[in-house]
Amino acid sequence: MDNNIKLRVSKIEKSFPGVKALDKIDFTVEKGTVHVLCGENGAGKSTLMKIINGIYQPDSGQIFIDEKPVKINNPIQARSLGISMIFQEMNYVPEMTVEENIFLGNLPVNKFGSVDWKEVRRSANELLKAENLPYSPATLLKDLTVSDIQMLEIIKAISYKSDIIIMDEPTSAITLKEVEKLFAKIRELKARGVSIIYISHKLDEIFQIADEITVFRDGTVVESHPREELDIETVIALMVGRKLTNTYPKEEVQVGENLLQAENLNSKAAFNNVSFHVKKGEIIGFAGLMGAGRTEVMRALFGLDPIASGSVKIKEKEVNIRNVREAINNGLVMLSEDRRRYGIIPVRSVKENTTLSFLQKVFYRLSYHSKVEHNIVTDMFTKMKVKTPTLDTSIQSLSGGNQQKVVLAKWMIRNPDILILDEPTRGIDVGAKFEIYKLMTNLVKEGKAVIMVSSELPELIGMCDRIYVMSKGTITGEIERKDFSQELIMKYATGTLISNEVK
Amino acid sequence: MKKRLIGGISMLMSVVLLGACGTTGTNPSDTSSAAKTSAANGEKQYKVAYVARAQSDSFAAWLANAVKEEAEKYPNIKLDVFDGEANDEKENSMIENAITNKYDLVIVQPNNGEAQKPYVEKVVKAGIFAITTNARISGIEGASSVDANPYEQAAVNARAAIEQIPQNAKVVVLDGPSGNFHADERRKSWKAEFFDKRTDVKIVGEQIANWNKDEAMRYMEDWVQANDKIDAVISMNDNMAAGAIEVIKDNPKYKDLLVYGVDGTAEACLLIQEGKMTSTCMQSAYDLATKLLDTSNKLLTGAEKQIDTDIGNPLVTKDNVQEYIDMHKKSGAIK
Amino acid sequence: MDLRKNNFLGTATKKYSIFMILFVLFIICSFANPNFLTANNLTNISRQLAVTTILAFGQTMLIISGMLDLSQGSVLALSGVFAVSVYKSTGSLILSILAGIITGVVCNFINAIMVSSLKTPPFIATLAMLAMARGVALLFTKGQNILQLGDFIVFGQGSLGVIPIPIIFLAVIAVITWYILKHTRFGRSLYAVGGNEEASVASGINVSNVKYKAFIINGIFVGIAGVLFMSRVNAGLPNGAVGFEMTALTAAIIGGTSFSGGIGTAMGTLAGAFIVGFLDNIMTLTNVDSYMQQIVRGAIIALAVIYDIQSKNRRTKNALGRIEDKESKIKKA
Repeated sequence: MDNNIKLRVSKIEKSFPGVKALDKIDFTVEKGTVHVLCGENGAGKSTLMKIINGIYQPDSGQIFIDEKPVKINNPIQARSLGISMIFQEMNYVPEMTVEENIFLGNLPVNKFGSVDWKEVRRSANELLKAENLPYSPATLLKDLTVSDIQMLEIIKAISYKSDIIIMDEPTSAITLKEVEKLFAKIRELKARGVSIIYISHKLDEIFQIADEITVFRDGTVVESHPREELDIETVIALMVGRKLTNTYPKEEVQVGENLLQAENLNSKAAFNNVSFHVKKGEIIGFAGLMGAGRTEVMRALFGLDPIASGSVKIKEKEVNIRNVREAINNGLVMLSEDRRRYGIIPVRSVKENTTLSFLQKVFYRLSYHSKVEHNIVTDMFTKMKVKTPTLDTSIQSLSGGNQQKVVLAKWMIRNPDILILDEPTRGIDVGAKFEIYKLMTNLVKEGKAVIMVSSELPELIGMCDRIYVMSKGTITGEIERKDFSQELIMKYATGTLISNEVK
Repeated sequence: MKKRLIGGISMLMSVVLLGACGTTGTNPSDTSSAAKTSAANGEKQYKVAYVARAQSDSFAAWLANAVKEEAEKYPNIKLDVFDGEANDEKENSMIENAITNKYDLVIVQPNNGEAQKPYVEKVVKAGIFAITTNARISGIEGASSVDANPYEQAAVNARAAIEQIPQNAKVVVLDGPSGNFHADERRKSWKAEFFDKRTDVKIVGEQIANWNKDEAMRYMEDWVQANDKIDAVISMNDNMAAGAIEVIKDNPKYKDLLVYGVDGTAEACLLIQEGKMTSTCMQSAYDLATKLLDTSNKLLTGAEKQIDTDIGNPLVTKDNVQEYIDMHKKSGAIK
Repeated sequence: MDLRKNNFLGTATKKYSIFMILFVLFIICSFANPNFLTANNLTNISRQLAVTTILAFGQTMLIISGMLDLSQGSVLALSGVFAVSVYKSTGSLILSILAGIITGVVCNFINAIMVSSLKTPPFIATLAMLAMARGVALLFTKGQNILQLGDFIVFGQGSLGVIPIPIIFLAVIAVITWYILKHTRFGRSLYAVGGNEEASVASGINVSNVKYKAFIINGIFVGIAGVLFMSRVNAGLPNGAVGFEMTALTAAIIGGTSFSGGIGTAMGTLAGAFIVGFLDNIMTLTNVDSYMQQIVRGAIIALAVIYDIQSKNRRTKNALGRIEDKESKIKKA
């Protein structure tokens, strides 16, 4: 039994200035298995993986591979020990070709010392063929999808003959179908005897793929069990250290008059004939596959992209929103799906990030009112349970969930009537997710309206009153809460079913 | 709407701005109009290219203007001016273009003699007359030259200074950019003609002020702080000398300060007249221009095959400054 | 609790380190040469620094918002020679300084059109302006210096009581910059735009407006600097002030303005300018040769940038630590 152990870490400790990130971690991975790590952001899983990959050095403790003690000083050394890591946010050069990417840092050279491109092409072709990938080695990375690139990373790992592959949130940016492809690949790797360490927040996925599940919390291993011994609720409870009574805090709210009504919205290319409405007290959802045009509709509504034709009424009044300022002035705000790109000013403080949407509140009578700002932000942070060391802490140093709450706080100080939330829970941990759901419920209780775009069907089903489903730029279905089911949504989303009511 | 308005206004502004440049910009080419008419009379007209070091260097600009003016006196010469923009690469390609465009004579004011030398050799090889000026490039077979001698220009000042600068004097020195032919020659001259002979004189400060008035001011201000006595400022050009004077002009402690420059700029002449500057050496762009055109004419008409000539190096002091001020008035530099 | 104290100390040292460096340098200079610590010398330094420091304030606002201006030196020369010639033809100091400012503003308005409306990278746009403005200045003066400025020199050489006028301009512009950055919506927007332009748009900031304003204010500063410069050298120098934008950028960077945008302060830039000024001054006072001075200046820039990058790395590491810390706090709560 013992000689089945591929990787073992023993009593690993690691501290960062002022905080203990890992506290005496013991953890083993067996040959040819998938070992899932879960835990909230900051629980220490990524730190441990970075230690195993040689990016960080542990303060104490020992790593064993095949029960032999090893010291891993850098990723290159890790690679030579058979360890590869596939990162959550992939950094790649868009203008690079597939073959260049595969052999990056490892290009075969001929006897003159220059790169042997013939050999590169030959081995790349061989690899792609072996893995059944349909594109040519000369394809540019920018022409591939996220999942293609992910596959490429996996191929790269295979080409290094890695027998430990670490995957950090590999499904955070790919479609359901692609997830299936990935899982098939993982099973195949497993059969070849490769050990896989898989980090994910998506609990339903975890249960599809895991052999063994280890839960991290506060830099320690809480528990480690074979999959059969666990269920989703138990894992959540282990992760947050308390039992969440209700995953979706949905409450019945009195629905009022129309707050927003969009009719026959068209853009140049992304969507056409989109009509929908949302009433006071309602949470409506937008479901659909990636690229269905949901985000594009919301961006256009919010004034970030132009609308080619159609009409928008807010509180029964026709509006013409050409930029974000006009949207805000009409009581419409939007939380973007891409927080890093459209949500935060990374180097600035949480305080400044919060008041950015409403500078008039703190800059008036020719001067800056720091106390006023402090009070506004403190109130909002208390209300939204934002955890930050100080108000002057730069937002980039907060966890994803807290960053998301700050971005939400930025909009809440405008006291908006209509809130568009585009993938509000992407990449944040269970605790923060729950708080965001809770906030949505509170908002509609106050008579506001929420539009939630999400790729996670369970949360749409859990939180919404109605769901619009989009496919290829049009709304293909509208579903009332009583009719919610994943199957129905998927049928509309894939375009196999088109509702009669929605033209 | 607002955006469009802003856009409109800005385009208007840029057009006005560009238009303004346009009108002044066309002036230089007008110089050849006289030549055109005479060409119509059937006389043989020669095309001369003047490749200037840089229009942004005030002496080079003065020289270019003077050459243009002088060219108007020669109906058989059509002169075009090119700007080397103080860049070897640029200047070299200007010379190449002149060969391609079959000029009859090319005058080169080098940015850096060694860099332009092979290109001037190309001019000669192409059977085109070449003249190098300010500073001459020596050692090109078949090329002519018109120049002032930078060593002599400094030397006339240095020789006067030997008598004027008191015993055990403390002096400061303002240098031009190192590697520049004139800067190096002038400094060499001061060493050989003055410092080697007056070992009692002490240099209490020496900095490269890059020919610039403002840099010279900064150094002079610092030197005034660091030294309780400065007897003389030895500057490699007039701009820097004027900068030093700017600093101490109202300070009674320095009313006897001796200041030496080179170039004979309008500003220096005025300062000498006021008694604030001791002397400079006139490097007259007019003299250079006159000689350049005369030489060109002689070469083009076949009177001579090769000419090397220098303009004089007159020392400008309070006694003879009026003559030069009149000259600058004529050129419009002093109003 | 300890952690918070550490963080606080960390930010405090980071925030004030530039002033500590300035102070230490001041002490060292005072001991290195007895002439350093004299009222005359300190006034001198301030006067020498006035022009480039005013430029540095313009540069600071632009860098904070993710832009920069390479055309400052050229536009300064153009503004300066226009101001000088307006003075010579009208004899009015007010009109001349207005001419300088308007010239600066027009050039920078064009910069803003290129950058904001036509989406040219600031580096390229202002590089183009660098060439254009210099060209116009030389054309206008035919490359000749304008002399005999008469009373125009009061801007650069005059004094109000004991305080030289350039220093008054410097102080006023320093305060204006501080006020803009600290006390106006526009200032706060500058940081946001430089920190993340797309997020600023999505937060309702009028980014184009912010960029125009930043360039126009820079234009005002450059125009004033042009007047001060020509007045100080008592000549209209169309080829003067070459490379001043680099000195200004140096001051801003040494003062802690981050080239990646979103970070920088007025007082930091002022300190940065004085660090360079003190060094230049003490090197000349102690007669360090020209070549050595260049090496030292280069080394200082390298050090400042290395420090900026290092502290950024440290920030990321602290950030990691803090995430873990916060999560554990949540649990405790």
